[in-house]
Amino acid sequence: MDPRHQPTLRRRLTVFKSLAWGLVALLVLVYAWLQLVRFGEFRQLALQQAVKVRPIPAPRGLVLDRNGHRLVDNRRALHLVIQREDLPTRPEVVAALAEALAVDPLALTRKIQSYRLAGKGRPLVLKENLDEAGIALAERVRARFPFLSVEVAPRRVYLGDELAGHVLGYVGEVDEELMKAKPGVFRLGETIGKEGFEASGNEKLKGVDGQKRILVDQLGTEVANFGQADAVAGRSLYLTLDAGLQKVAQDALGEEAGAVVVLDLRDGGVLAMYSSPSYDPNLFLNRLSQDMVDRYLANSVTRPMVNRAIQGIYAPGSTFKLLVALAALEKGVATPQTVIYCAGKKNFYGRDFRCDKPTGHGGLNMVQAIAQSCDVYFYELASRLDVDDIYATAEKYGLTERTGIDLPQEKRTRIPSRAWKKKAVPKDPKWYAGETISVGIGQGAVGVTPMGLARFYALLATKGKLLTPHLFYGYRDDLGNDLEPAPPPPARDTPLDPKHWLVLDEGLHEVVQSGTASTNPFVREIAREIPFSGKTGTAQVATFVDKAHYARQAKKLKDHALFAGYAPREHPQIAFAVVVENAGFGSTAAAPIAAKVVKYWCVDRLSNPLPAPRGKLVDPFTPPQPETPE
Amino acid sequence: MKERFRALDQRLLWVLLALIALGTLTLYSAGRNTPQAGIWLKQSLWNLLGMALMLLLATTDPRRIFRYSFPSYLLGLVALAAVLVVGKKIGGATRWFVIAGQTFQPSELMKWVTLLYVSHRLGSRHASTVGRLELFGAVGLVVFPMLLIQRQPDLGMALSFLPILLIIPLMKGLRTRWVVALLLLIGVGGFGAWKVVLKPYQKQRVMIFLDPSSDLQGKGYQVNQSRIAIGSGGLIGKGFTSGSQTQLNFLPVKTTDFAFSVWAEERGFLGVLLALGLFGLLLSRILDAARVAHTTAEAYFCAGAAGIFALHLLVNVGMVAGALPNKGMVLPFFSAGGSSTLSFFLALGLIMGILHRARVK
Repeated sequence: MDPRHQPTLRRRLTVFKSLAWGLVALLVLVYAWLQLVRFGEFRQLALQQAVKVRPIPAPRGLVLDRNGHRLVDNRRALHLVIQREDLPTRPEVVAALAEALAVDPLALTRKIQSYRLAGKGRPLVLKENLDEAGIALAERVRARFPFLSVEVAPRRVYLGDELAGHVLGYVGEVDEELMKAKPGVFRLGETIGKEGFEASGNEKLKGVDGQKRILVDQLGTEVANFGQADAVAGRSLYLTLDAGLQKVAQDALGEEAGAVVVLDLRDGGVLAMYSSPSYDPNLFLNRLSQDMVDRYLANSVTRPMVNRAIQGIYAPGSTFKLLVALAALEKGVATPQTVIYCAGKKNFYGRDFRCDKPTGHGGLNMVQAIAQSCDVYFYELASRLDVDDIYATAEKYGLTERTGIDLPQEKRTRIPSRAWKKKAVPKDPKWYAGETISVGIGQGAVGVTPMGLARFYALLATKGKLLTPHLFYGYRDDLGNDLEPAPPPPARDTPLDPKHWLVLDEGLHEVVQSGTASTNPFVREIAREIPFSGKTGTAQVATFVDKAHYARQAKKLKDHALFAGYAPREHPQIAFAVVVENAGFGSTAAAPIAAKVVKYWCVDRLSNPLPAPRGKLVDPFTPPQPETPE
Repeated sequence: MKERFRALDQRLLWVLLALIALGTLTLYSAGRNTPQAGIWLKQSLWNLLGMALMLLLATTDPRRIFRYSFPSYLLGLVALAAVLVVGKKIGGATRWFVIAGQTFQPSELMKWVTLLYVSHRLGSRHASTVGRLELFGAVGLVVFPMLLIQRQPDLGMALSFLPILLIIPLMKGLRTRWVVALLLLIGVGGFGAWKVVLKPYQKQRVMIFLDPSSDLQGKGYQVNQSRIAIGSGGLIGKGFTSGSQTQLNFLPVKTTDFAFSVWAEERGFLGVLLALGLFGLLLSRILDAARVAHTTAEAYFCAGAAGIFALHLLVNVGMVAGALPNKGMVLPFFSAGGSSTLSFFLALGLIMGILHRARVK
């Protein structure tokens, strides 16, 4: 029985031993294959997942108004977060946390689960942009749940809230569609301007992102830094906007829908551009709530997201008569001395066209017709012209093109012509002479943006200079804190005959002194102090707002009130256009707003230089503080 | 006491101590900067306890141990049945008793008890007098605890019983028709297992083994990361506690199933050569014990033990390299774990006792 005397057993055991060494040799071969032959390939894979290049976002530049008030600031925002390695797993902990934060426990569980699956590198954000109450809550909750932490991140702050919402726009993460449309331009998660100047001035503001090579662990947490190229902060810049004037425009429009545009006649800089209702860009930095979608994005009644100043197309009404007069003078179908009798209405092509004044103005020359805004006079001028004459004049003075302002999605002014109708109304492409009569008083198919209208009145104020409205004023010299003015975009001279101009200027002056606008006591009072020029307009149609809504409200759809002009009359400094939707007459609703603008610009601004817009701006009486480096 | 230490086989002891040293270093590196930072210390305690048991068995007459093989086997079956009823469920499997806060896996020890009893039964008579019926009986003795373990379920553990059957060819030699019959059995049994016995997650493992890239974020992720760890170790490795896959936690379950990947990454091919060489010496010495054993039962036990160690080596080291299916089978002296460590040392203690008795007589 002793195995030592069983030779077969001993022989078999020898075979077993060879098998054992064979097994070892086989495993050695497997490891030689992996570690010697395929070493390079696996080393590459190991490096790829452990060494990452992460971007260091550059701080965006600040945005200041022309006087150095901050319109957009960078501040620190606090977020309540959980680091990935600290994620709670036990359901009772999650439930208790949800209760402490006053959120739905199911929603929190889902949030944690989806983060566990997808989110890498960044902690899970439980509450973003903590305010004071939020910080107090966070501290209380953190005492019970020590795995929570408060993270500091840069945040854009729009100081005037709704003051310049449409002008400034807001920032957000670049969306996938844009990344697909412009491959290689953006990096995932990059903050870019989404609307307004933040979007159009993105290149100027964004700076240069830095990057760092870091070692990360399996969770994406940074373990070591192999070196980095620092980010270059975006340059701060000045806008041509005057925060004080912008505030005047905001207050003057109040709850009314509409727009105010004020241009600097020296270079076309936009001194004020307010579109009402406005929005607060600060609200768009957080994830959108349903309430915000209802209030802003999906609001088809007042459409707060539309920048009416450059995207609202309004019938210019009587403000258009100046162009018709100019066309008639240049075509030679009328002279300044041409007198036309107004009997309250006049028949053209078998149809009665009414004047605003049913009793009639009697006999008027051109200056008087502008001052009284006599419709019959301009029906008559239009009847002597062809619609293409009016179009040609509009084209000559820049009214048919976009103003070229440095904001995204500016709409083009619509001036009808025969060619236009062929394209726009293919069912009825023929132009009827009767339609020209309506165009004569800025009705029918004519539609202008407030910005386009202001630019045309700037042209009248400058005796023919076609300015390019713009917001970019210049970079800030970050050492001296001074403005480095940028050259304004080019202005174009137009062949406006000084003789013709004299008539128009006289007419616009008379509108305020003795004409339609002088009926308003406030306008009269301001005009006595600061003589200014302008033209009222009352546009009958209202296609811009949701008509059905007003029908439901059983409200009479009132006319849009307009006023456009320049001030002061001698050596004008500013041109402006005011539109107030569904407010009635231009003389009572729009002209007083223009008068407030004129009063601020010519008087209040100088005597009481820097009123702070809506409290949140830095103290206007101290110069802007040099920034403390973050 | 000195006499007791003299009972330890020198060659086997040095190999063992070397393997324990490698394993402890590996666990120290694997546990670093994780909640398991102290695991190397805990495992060292298990190793010490194991060596004490080994010393105890080495100085015991093997015949006394074989005498207790049948009651032990019965007790083992009872324990396996009991664990299904009162065992602790972890990750969907009921494999553990909880005793004084420690989990204990009875199947680890049962493997060796089964080997002990089967070798005792088959070795007590001359090989030529053992009939076919007795051989089938022995197979039954092995398969019955395997089925109980598969109920837990724990396929890896169940399969680790199979080397016990190596005793049969050792007794009877291999005939061509037996090999054919075995292959047939594996074929039919494999099909039957796939259809009836295997749990879905076990099937999934097989599928992922056949195509690891099909599931890089799930089960395939582990093996993929392990292969990266091993391959990127190269010839000389990344250095102790400097393996990026290990230290940055890309490598999963690195203190148990994938401990050998840690060693391979940080010590490279040369380290692998050293470790596999030591395992080769271990197997070789155990088979030496079979040759010098005083009884056939002892020889059978040693041969079966070599088979079990070899299977653990093959499956674990092959698995972490992606050459075998992702099967939870621990690597002796590398993978942390109390039950398995104690069981390995108990077996080695018996083998040392066999060597000791062969030496003194």
